[in-house]
Amino acid sequence: MAASGRDGKAGRDVLRTVGEASVLVLISLADRSRHGYALIQDIKEFAGVELGPGTLYGALDRLERLGLIEPLPAEDRRHPYRITAPGAAALRVHLDSLERVSAAGRLRLQLGGI
Amino acid sequence: MDGPRATLLVGAALRCYPARWRRRHGDEAAELAVLLIRDGKPAAAVAWSYLAGAAREWLTPRPGRRLSTAAWALLAAACSLGVSAALVTSAGPARAASTSQARGHVHCSPAPPGFLTRMVPAQGNSLVIVRKAGHDQPC
Repeated sequence: MAASGRDGKAGRDVLRTVGEASVLVLISLADRSRHGYALIQDIKEFAGVELGPGTLYGALDRLERLGLIEPLPAEDRRHPYRITAPGAAALRVHLDSLERVSAAGRLRLQLGGI
Repeated sequence: MDGPRATLLVGAALRCYPARWRRRHGDEAAELAVLLIRDGKPAAAVAWSYLAGAAREWLTPRPGRRLSTAAWALLAAACSLGVSAALVTSAGPARAASTSQARGHVHCSPAPPGFLTRMVPAQGNSLVIVRKAGHDQPC
C-alpha cells in the first residue's frame, strides 16, 4: 500500500494517521539519509523525544510500506534509509497543516486574552 | 544489569518478532540495543520497547499472515463480546419498561408531576421512560 506521489501533490495529509514517531522519523530523514541509531540521536536532539528502538522500527516499516522512505544498501549491519519524493511531498503537506493549526491556536489564545 | 544478562534480555525480546522481521532487522536491532545500553538506556527499557514492537508487528495485518488474521479475529470477537455485554447490561432494564424516544411530534398529553419516572442516556439520545398505570405503552 504505497502512497502515491499524487497524494502529496493533491494536498491530502497522508501523515495525519501514521503517528508522531513516523513524522519525527520523516523529518529526521528530510535533510539526509540516516540509520537507526543516528535517527534516535537526531530526533532526541531536535524534538527532545527519545524513541524506543521498537517504536523506531515500527515507524520505519510503516513509512517504507507507504513508499515515503526507502532503504539504502547496508553499511555493515546498519541499514540507512532515505526519504522518497512522495515522502518529501507528504511531509510538506503535513507541516503546512500543522502550521495552519498552530496559527489558529495562537490566534484564538490571543483573542481569548489568556 | 551486566552485559550478558542485558544481551539475553534483549535477545529474548527480539525473538518475539516474526522471522521475516528478524531476517530483515535482527542484526541491526541487536547492534542498536548494544549502542543504546552503552549510552545508559536501561536494558529492560530497550527489551520492553522491542517486546511492544513485536506485539504491534504481529497485530499489523499483512497479506498471507494467518496468525495476524487470527489475532484480529480474536480482537474483533473480544470487542464484539464486550459491546454485546454492554448492550445487554444497558438495554435490559429499559426493555423491561415501556420506552419511547422523546420527539416533538408525539401526541401525548402533558404528563402530571411525577409521571416521568427517569431518563436514561442511550447512544447519545435521552431515552425517556414513561410508565402509566393501565396504559404501559410507548407514547
